[in-house]
Amino acid sequence: MSSAPSGGGEAPPAVELRGITKRFPGVVANHDIDIAVEAGTVHAIVGENGAGKSTLMKTLYGMHRPDEGTIAVKGETVRLGSPSDAIKHGIGMVHQHFMLADNLTVLENIVLGAERRGGIGRGARARITSLSEQYGLGIEPDRLMEELGVGQRQRVEILKVLYRGADIVILDEPTAVLVPQEVDELFENLRELKREGLTVIFISHKLDEVLSVADTITVIRRGTTVATVDPGRTSARELATLMVGGELPVPELRESTVTERPMLEVGNLEVGEPGGRRVVDDVSLTIREGEIVGIAGVEGNGQSELIEAIMGMRPVERGTVRLDGRDITGWGTLGIREAGVGYIPEDRHRHGVLLESPLWENRILGHQGEAPNARGIWIDRAGARADTERIVADYDVRTPGIDVIAEALSGGNQQKLIVGREMSGRPKVLVAAHPTRGVDVGAQAAIWDHLRRARSEGLAVLLVSADLDELIGMSDTLHVILRGRLVAQADPMTVTPEELGAAMTGAGLKDAAGSGGEGEDGA
Amino acid sequence: MRVSIPNPAAAGLAVVVGAGTTAGADMGLLAPAAAALGVALAFAVVLLLTRPTTDDADTRVHRMVVAPVALVLAVAAGVLGGAVVDWWLIEPVAYPLGALIGSVAAFLLYRRLATTLALSVAAVVAAGVLALAVTALVLWISGVAPFHAFGRMLEFGLQPDSLVIMVNSGTTFYLSAVAVAIGFKMKLFNIGVDGQYRLAALMAAAVGGAWVLPPVVHQVVVITVAVAVGGFWAGIAGYLKVTRGVSEVISTIMLNSVATGITAYLLNTDRLAVQISTNNIGTREIAETGWVPGIPAGFMGADREIFGLVVLAVAVGVGYWLMLNRTRFGFDLRATGQSPTAARASGIDIKRMVLLSMVISGMVAGLVGMPQLLGQSHYYALDFPTGLGFTGIAIALLGRNHPVGIGFAALFWAFLDQSSQILDFEGIPKEIAVVTQATIVLTVVVVYEVVHRWGLRYQQQQVGRELARGDREEAAAS
Repeated sequence: MSSAPSGGGEAPPAVELRGITKRFPGVVANHDIDIAVEAGTVHAIVGENGAGKSTLMKTLYGMHRPDEGTIAVKGETVRLGSPSDAIKHGIGMVHQHFMLADNLTVLENIVLGAERRGGIGRGARARITSLSEQYGLGIEPDRLMEELGVGQRQRVEILKVLYRGADIVILDEPTAVLVPQEVDELFENLRELKREGLTVIFISHKLDEVLSVADTITVIRRGTTVATVDPGRTSARELATLMVGGELPVPELRESTVTERPMLEVGNLEVGEPGGRRVVDDVSLTIREGEIVGIAGVEGNGQSELIEAIMGMRPVERGTVRLDGRDITGWGTLGIREAGVGYIPEDRHRHGVLLESPLWENRILGHQGEAPNARGIWIDRAGARADTERIVADYDVRTPGIDVIAEALSGGNQQKLIVGREMSGRPKVLVAAHPTRGVDVGAQAAIWDHLRRARSEGLAVLLVSADLDELIGMSDTLHVILRGRLVAQADPMTVTPEELGAAMTGAGLKDAAGSGGEGEDGA
Repeated sequence: MRVSIPNPAAAGLAVVVGAGTTAGADMGLLAPAAAALGVALAFAVVLLLTRPTTDDADTRVHRMVVAPVALVLAVAAGVLGGAVVDWWLIEPVAYPLGALIGSVAAFLLYRRLATTLALSVAAVVAAGVLALAVTALVLWISGVAPFHAFGRMLEFGLQPDSLVIMVNSGTTFYLSAVAVAIGFKMKLFNIGVDGQYRLAALMAAAVGGAWVLPPVVHQVVVITVAVAVGGFWAGIAGYLKVTRGVSEVISTIMLNSVATGITAYLLNTDRLAVQISTNNIGTREIAETGWVPGIPAGFMGADREIFGLVVLAVAVGVGYWLMLNRTRFGFDLRATGQSPTAARASGIDIKRMVLLSMVISGMVAGLVGMPQLLGQSHYYALDFPTGLGFTGIAIALLGRNHPVGIGFAALFWAFLDQSSQILDFEGIPKEIAVVTQATIVLTVVVVYEVVHRWGLRYQQQQVGRELARGDREEAAAS
């Protein structure tokens, strides 16, 4: 921390939050948050999903006002009524989901909305170039946004914030979208920012990353700050204990339950886009009874389309999908579901639940035609309600009742309901896309448990995830998808997240375990 | 200070207090006022002796919103009940009986009324008050004493004959609004109800007039033709949307114009029409075997008859409710309306749903003209009522697509239409009713959105409380 160039030991903290309380109509509010961020440091804020990190950052970025407590920036108490107030005080935020226009150049994206600082022409270009050099971001102002990769886009977002004069940069879960190599690059950038005297607030729930980059770590649990620690004197395990107030669950499978009976066979599957581009290209894979097959890949490489094609939501151009020996290629989604395929969609809110409907109606969704939800053309209310009560009890969905609308539940509880629903009626195959995304650690462990249990009872699972630990820990077989093709197969017993990350970017897996694996499966 | 006594005893006591007070106060007060007083006292008894059975009993929301709404509803039930019973019995008997109904309502409502429903009712009442205030303001600005006008409307609107007309136009409005609501539930905007019912009524009248069939068969044939034509006409818009992606808003508006053209072409003495009077032409009159007799309204002192097809409207309402809440099709419909993406992922064929819901909406639209055709005019002529489809849109909005809500909205709309007729005689423009109608639709839409958000926050708070309780138990256990 000697790098902090704060003049005189007694400089006020860059940001000081005192007694912040936000009563929020929702599950987690903030209460009694106390954080002091020293100038010129990287300050990490960690906590499990739903602990209140985002609420806190929104408060700091002026997106909503705290009910109690004060915010001081550089020693001066401020009232942040809107993001533009925050920017005026030098606070900038890089959101988890980028806000960039693909069809504009880097330069245009950066000046958009900030035209009054240095115009849109030569002045702006000079400033961008000098900022990029100063902080070592390596940005070319004239590239088109759509040509850039995820890591580069993130750097553009950071530069956008710097361009607006921020000297306190908030990064919300910046590594969620990056592969390990890109994470390292990002951390190099952050260290550079710090050397130049900027303050970085880094929000994450990935402990190893936090330990490697932060100067100070504040842990948030259930809406309040529980500890502020020095990364030099703590370990991931200690942090995890602080975060969850208990042991951190690890995804792992015990003994193999894989049998020889293929349940889902995908053969030379091809899916095209309206534009003619092939988004799934000659994919073949087999999932056997009691087996979990993981698909690793950077988002946007065809995983979603592969799943949608299997679920009958996207037309298949070529190839076959067979369920337990039966050809289900070209079937409708309902037919496929009723034939015994459960589906945990990747976007819970868009595909998994009816937000404005009560829980028991959400139990029916996707299972309209089966017992206990329906009898002939009629909805069986009593049956559906009783079964919802069962799911709420068995899957530990925290809710006051089954008449509450889904939107009122936290993400983890919504997901537990979905998992419970899709596991009902003994499916043969479960297609699970990011089953633990955005859910808290407790729910994550519970969902893994349910997957393991169902696997030991013979369920075949197709698991798509961005969480490499989850993929490695839960899969019996692991494929890597790149630009719509399965490019490598890895052995989850031996592969490391770094190797997998490299394979996902196309660096190749040195034919570790998967030499010709696809060819055999595709028969 | 709650006395614990068994519920039946509490209910009984409330009824005795309610009816007794009314009978006593009837000596000194106007009967409706006596009934209101009686029910209010009964409500007080219920309040003291029992507890609500809902989850949120004893919370601030319950005290501030649910209890007052329950009180208002109970009093309204008592007074209205008295007024209806009064048609058959003498006043000193009728109103205590009404108070009895109100007292039972007080008992049930206080104990059972769900918070979200109470909020909705409160919202509608608030919207109504707001709309009346705006109307009063408009009247006052144009130099008319608002309360004088309202008084005259109320007086005229409550006359027996006015009430019958209100029920009759309410019947038509109801059918039209249900047709629109079926589309709304799918987020489909069927603006074409107007064209659908006019074309359907013309075809049905032509068929009905051309053939003479035995009773019952005749009516069934006429109504079937109307349903088929309405469904077909709306189905065109559905088909275009599914196959070509044409917005149903555009296509139904266009089809309205096409329907106008077709009716004008067919309603010609060379084709379907005959001369009815010197300046009116229409289809051949339907033979008496095809008429639907009216329900005599002598019991309420009216000379007019209520449309017999009011029964059809009730059946459509029940069917709509059943379809929506109890069938797989209704579930698919609501799911698609709420979230097309989730519906698709759950295996619902969205295109099929769009086409089917459009056709069903049109089939109900086909019924709109039937009460008038079979109950009163017996032919489709140039003076057949038009524009009912657009009224239906407003009423569906007002009734929030709910079968009961639409019923109240349709009657309210018809009441304003009918009672404003008197204003012409007073030299006040009767279009003032249109101002009220328009304002109330706007305010209801806005107020409902507010209530919707409140409701969501309220539920989230309840979930939060549940979670907090779980945490406390965990903490206590460890």
